[in-house]
This record gives sequence, structure tokens and C-alpha cells, in this order.
Amino acid sequence: MKIASQDVGKSKRTRRSEPVILFSVAHQTFAISADSVQEIRSTDSMAGAANEIEQPLLAKVRHTIERAHRKYFVVNACTHFNLPITRPTLVLILRQLRVAVLVDKIERMAEINAVHALPRAFIGEERRWYRGLAYVEDHVIPVIEPAGFLTRKEFLALDRVTKAAESQREMEGAVQA
Amino acid sequence: MTAMENADRNSFVLLQVGERRFALPSEIVDELAPPVRLHTFPHTSALVAGVIVRRGHIVPVYDVAPTLLGKESPTHRFYLIAQRAFGKSSEASAIPLNGECELATAELQPPGEGRPAYISGTFEIGQESVELLNFELLVTDQSPESANDSHAEAQP
Repeated sequence: MKIASQDVGKSKRTRRSEPVILFSVAHQTFAISADSVQEIRSTDSMAGAANEIEQPLLAKVRHTIERAHRKYFVVNACTHFNLPITRPTLVLILRQLRVAVLVDKIERMAEINAVHALPRAFIGEERRWYRGLAYVEDHVIPVIEPAGFLTRKEFLALDRVTKAAESQREMEGAVQA
Repeated sequence: MTAMENADRNSFVLLQVGERRFALPSEIVDELAPPVRLHTFPHTSALVAGVIVRRGHIVPVYDVAPTLLGKESPTHRFYLIAQRAFGKSSEASAIPLNGECELATAELQPPGEGRPAYISGTFEIGQESVELLNFELLVTDQSPESANDSHAEAQP
């Protein structure tokens, strides 16, 4: 049987390129649309602003932060992607969603010409995690779906838990006063 | 049915996984590809090892050795690219192989009793009995029993 050659064909269609941020978590590289990230901060600079969730509902969300009068849920990307736990040093604060993601490092900015559909062989949680796959300098990299970090149901449950905890604290504060 | 159609129906690609040979219907096999880089990323789909890039397309790779052999296979030498059906469409899919492929024509017999569902038949090539794989059932099989069944067949 003939062995086909190794050449990788390139599409001749002209596509608009999309700027993405390449970041890594536990030595795994991901891409996220630059437009979907509002801000990148170090975990050190955010430490004082983080509120611990006393009884975490989700293992991947143990803190909230307040930014511009909005409460963001801090998602540990290692836990989210079932990767070995590391010490994240950066927080990606997303633009459209109340999610801040703990990551290890930003590798660089890049431009991608296409987001390829995730093959149908993939049938698990990754279909929610990723928009698709991108080919960047000989590497296939998953492109993050920002809305995939927390489902609507998870948002509602987290909001309920954190509101209840805040009310409890306010009551305790009032009693002590 | 013409002789050519009959020949197509009994035409198989013999492939080597670990130390054993299996077969796939020739009509679903696209090509044998060299061992290019396997790209991996987090996912929760059982049996999927990662993806390769082949002729500009991203092709998923199924790790079938644990299912067929009951263990991981040694470093593979080739990828066999075959079409996996999804309703009316299909998707190129790869499985790692440990040897070259051969085209064979043979009369297909029913599978042996108690064989896993992904074994759809058997035929003789010389002194060797080769089992025909149902590709769809193989790459969606997640039953722990089938690995033991398939492996047991290989015992002398």
C-alpha cells in the first residue's frame, strides 16, 4: 500500500485572521480570542481583592473577585480541564462573562486564520470547552469557548450560594454591632 | 452481482495492531500514513488519543490497542486512515498500526461464538485466522469485558 507524502496542504481561501492569546496551564497550551479577555492580572495583585467561598459548590471555583461592581467567579483552569494542579500566577478576567480564569502563564499573542471544527470523534465535555482547534506553528491548539468555563446552571447555583453567604455575614455583622 | 462487485465485497485491508493482525473492509480505508506528530489536549472522550494533521485536515486518532489487545501497544509505525460513518456523512479517522498493511480477498465467515460486537466476521489467510473489525463499533466500544474477550482469542 502506498504511503502518502507528508505535505500539509494549505487552504487557498483568504480568511480574516483573529488575534488570540496563547496561554498555558500545566504545560498545556490553549488559545483564547483576545477580544474575549478584558484584563490580565497577576494573582499577587488580585490576592487582596479575592473573597474565598467558604463552602465551595464546585471544586474549580473557590474564590470571587469584585471588579467594576461586578462579581466574577474565579475558575481554576487546572481543575476545569482535569490537569495536574499547578500554582497559577495570572488571572484572565473575561470581558462578556463574570468569569476570571487562573492560568500559569501567557505565552504570546498570535493570529489564527481559521478555527477548525472539533472532530466528531470528540463527544465529551471538550465540546463545551472549545470553539474548535487552531493550527499554530506546527501545533494543534484548542481554542477556548469562554462560555464553556461555567454553565448557566453553575452560574445560578454559585450566585445563590454567594448571596446566601453574604446575607449571613451581614446578619452576623448586624448582630455583633 | 458482478464478479467485480463480489470481489469488492470480499476485499479487506489487513492491519497489524501489536502482534496481531485484523482486517477492515477495504472500501472504508483511505490510506496508510507515516507516524506524524500526535497532538494532544485535554478532553474526556474515551478511546481518542489525540489528533494528527493529514493533508491539511485535522484527523482524530483512536487508540484501539487496549480494546483489541487488552494492553497498550508498543510504538507504532504507521497510521491507517479510514472513514468513520456519521449518518449520511463520514469523517476521516486514524488508528495507530505496528506494521504495514496488505490488501486481501477472502470469503468471509461469521464471527466465532462469544466474540465482541466489533468483530463482524472472520476469514482464513493461509494458516492464519483473521478477524474483521466493525470500525464504528470498535471506536465506540467502552465495555471492559471486550478487552479480555479479544485478548483471550490471541492465547494459543
